[in-house]
Amino acid sequence: MERKNILSFVIILIFIFLLFGLSSLDLLQGDKFRRLSDSNCIRLIAQLGARGNILDRNGEIIVDNKISYDVMILPSELSQLDHILSGVARILEVEPKELKAAFRNNYFSSSIPVTIASNIDLKKAILLGEYKLEEPSIIIQPKPLRHYPYGPLAAHAIGYVNEIDRWRLTKLEDYGYKTKDIVGFGGVEEKYDYYLRQEEGGLSVEVNHRGKFMRVLGFEPPSNGKDVQLTLDLRIQKIVEANLSGRKGSIILMDPQSGEILALTSYPNFNPAVFVTKRTKLIAGLFNNPDAPLINRAISSSYPPASVFKLVLASAGLELKRINLSTNFLCKGSTMVGSRKFSCWDVHGVQDIIMAIAHSCDIFFYKTGLLVGAQNIHDYALKLGFAKSAGLELPYETSGFIPSPLWRKINKFQNWFDGDTANLSIGQGDCLVTPLQMVDMMAIFANGGYLPSPYIIKAVGALDFSERKKKLTHVPFKKSTFEIICRGLRAVVSDEKGTANILSGLPVAVAGKTGTAQVSHGATHAWFVGYFPFDKPKYVICVLLENGGGGHAASAVARQIIEAMNTQGLI
Amino acid sequence: MRNSFLRIFILALIISSLGVLSIYSSTYQKEGTPWQDIHKRQILWLVIGLACFFAMSHLNYRRLWDANYFIYGVAIFFLFMVFALGIIRLGAQRWLKFAWFNFQPSEFAKLAIIIFLARYFSRKSVDDISLLSGKFGIFRGIILPFIFVAVPMFLIIEQPDLGSGLMLLLVFVSLLYLTNVRLKYILTLMFVLILPLPFFWHFLRDYQKQRLLVFLNPNIDPLGAGYTVIQSRIAIGSGGLFGRGWLSGTQSQLYFLPESHTDFVFATFSEQWGFLGSILLLLLYYLIIRQGFIIAQRTQDSFGRLLAYGISLLLALQVSINISMNMGLAPVVGLPLPLMSYGGSSVLSTFIALGILVNIDRTRSVF
Repeated sequence: MERKNILSFVIILIFIFLLFGLSSLDLLQGDKFRRLSDSNCIRLIAQLGARGNILDRNGEIIVDNKISYDVMILPSELSQLDHILSGVARILEVEPKELKAAFRNNYFSSSIPVTIASNIDLKKAILLGEYKLEEPSIIIQPKPLRHYPYGPLAAHAIGYVNEIDRWRLTKLEDYGYKTKDIVGFGGVEEKYDYYLRQEEGGLSVEVNHRGKFMRVLGFEPPSNGKDVQLTLDLRIQKIVEANLSGRKGSIILMDPQSGEILALTSYPNFNPAVFVTKRTKLIAGLFNNPDAPLINRAISSSYPPASVFKLVLASAGLELKRINLSTNFLCKGSTMVGSRKFSCWDVHGVQDIIMAIAHSCDIFFYKTGLLVGAQNIHDYALKLGFAKSAGLELPYETSGFIPSPLWRKINKFQNWFDGDTANLSIGQGDCLVTPLQMVDMMAIFANGGYLPSPYIIKAVGALDFSERKKKLTHVPFKKSTFEIICRGLRAVVSDEKGTANILSGLPVAVAGKTGTAQVSHGATHAWFVGYFPFDKPKYVICVLLENGGGGHAASAVARQIIEAMNTQGLI
Repeated sequence: MRNSFLRIFILALIISSLGVLSIYSSTYQKEGTPWQDIHKRQILWLVIGLACFFAMSHLNYRRLWDANYFIYGVAIFFLFMVFALGIIRLGAQRWLKFAWFNFQPSEFAKLAIIIFLARYFSRKSVDDISLLSGKFGIFRGIILPFIFVAVPMFLIIEQPDLGSGLMLLLVFVSLLYLTNVRLKYILTLMFVLILPLPFFWHFLRDYQKQRLLVFLNPNIDPLGAGYTVIQSRIAIGSGGLFGRGWLSGTQSQLYFLPESHTDFVFATFSEQWGFLGSILLLLLYYLIIRQGFIIAQRTQDSFGRLLAYGISLLLALQVSINISMNMGLAPVVGLPLPLMSYGGSSVLSTFIALGILVNIDRTRSVF
């Protein structure tokens, strides 16, 4: 071939080479390069909606949001950056160094706006808004933050919000949760996070090669989360928290007719606001406190029910016809069960069922327990709602535990002795219950035979759940059983020697049962579980004072609460 | 005859109009009058260029034979001037400042050397009017012309403008190949040139070394030397099949792509007009180069033929190297895309070259 033909052939080859190069870039990798091109010049600025409010049963706000302002800037060239930062620093009256440090710390990538100052007030935000006209790279981002007008009030029922953790993220990724999302922890905030949670909107803007804002491409308004209305009554909640006044323990008030939780508190408590303002020291203190202020004692801790458990014995004995109204046992202060001596806390003399409940006579119930049998006690405890979670819509509810001979045989390879039955009869030994289960159990006696399933969510958004949530399980005991036990519960208060006689002077007739739980370490736990008014029960109350002394201490707290409710006309 | 004039005229006009559109699109948003007016300046250059094109197409190219040494001398003179008085822009000393424009002598030097080589290799034997170049030994065939090429080449590389310098070398080798000089000698020359390449590495400027390294892997320095190639590839690739539309290319119009109106004007064009537009542009360039080859092939006069080949080759090499470097297929060297890139010297020299090409075809029948 001639040289000139070879040369023209080479030229053609070169053009074919260019053609291949072009089709590789445009056709094969076009989508990739289009994405890269967009990420060069399009910046997304997220705008947060407000998380749903949490309201009490009357629509009073328990938790809402307040607007705070964040200052962000689009990352741009260094020289420009210094200029902008010093301008912003002048307006915010801080050192430019601080802003620079914040910029360095928060810088993630050149495509994401960087927060340089958080929670600035409205006045400065307006001044910055004027400065923005000169430097469009500044973004002033209104950010709704959780606001707790009552501080730690009902903190355990509500929970707190914080940045999502890794464990939750892996679980919730499929539902659209992202890193750095603010989600609920504990309480209603966690359980109803999906409804409370706001949807992110945002602005997409075009920037040039220096990161300078060019124009707005689009705007998607953020949407707020749904409001959640609780069954809590803020007035009662306040009374309850005021009267627990710094003692470890838990108080619950419930409507026995429906199962609505009207007040729920646990102490030590915490102020959820520390998670919003990210006060690291205080947060660390909460996690390291040996008294575990983040634990909701009303549902997540279980305690020996002590004498309150005698109601189970009474029900079982009456239902199984092992005892009746005319059964009498003599209390001489102690009795022998097998070869062991079991003592009563006092010498009561001859006791029938009513007196035994009123005086909380141990001897009577040892003997009843031995007549009924341990397995029956276990079965009746379950009928009254123990050893299974009550099903409240708050996370981390524990189910407690009621031992039985069968359980011990299977799991511990040990025999059950009469001594164990005696121990179980007064609610000691291995058995553990939560304050919520206690309230629930007492509601059966208050409403005459129905085990409510407690609930705390009244409505989500515009949807009213109260009818749907109201679920009363019939407990098929004889009418006389309830009548007798209720008489006993009333006698606890009305009898001169009744363990909760302290409550008798109140204008409202109260019925209930005290308990003094022995624990291996420290002082006894004090229980008072009762309902009022006696003839037409509207409230069931459970007071637990952890290491708080005898049942009378809990009764005294109950008295203060009922008095305060009465003066406020809530009964 | 009129035919080839018209074809080249129309092709050049279309290409340079597309160039003006691209230059406009990449600069119209920039602030300041010099930027706003840049497309108008390019149009002015095009008008002057077209005038040169007409003038050259009527000026008998044999005059170039006579003026050969003068042209060569002027080119060398201007290159020396650049060396002494040139203004420094973009880190290189390539321009001479005139009243209202900057003049880049290396663009014209390329043409001057082609004219010189064409004349050198088409001298005829006095005895039998056969071409002398067939009888050239290694000294007269290779070494002597290489010295003539090497002087301006060295001056250009020292500016520094490695791209244009190497372009001269490539044109020289291709022209050698088209003459009757023995293949053996050409291969020897290439061998001698390629062998010491590793040593030349030490003579390269730092930025030139970086560009070569970055060509092998742009991501070693994505915000520095590799930035232009990466952005240029993004610009071309994001065009896709149909492009983003005129004035809608974000890469070039938001200035992510540097030099979007000069060396990287192809990326600007391709971003906006996509694969189809780019193919059309490649086709236009191919047609104009092919026209050059056709003219060369049908020219009997060996001076004219070599000149036509040289001009077509210069065009072909500049186009292909520039587009390859836009696509990241060649290292970044400072070569404009003829007819498209902004720049008076490039536009003028290209139109003069095209004018010579047309004139060769026009006067062909005389001999």
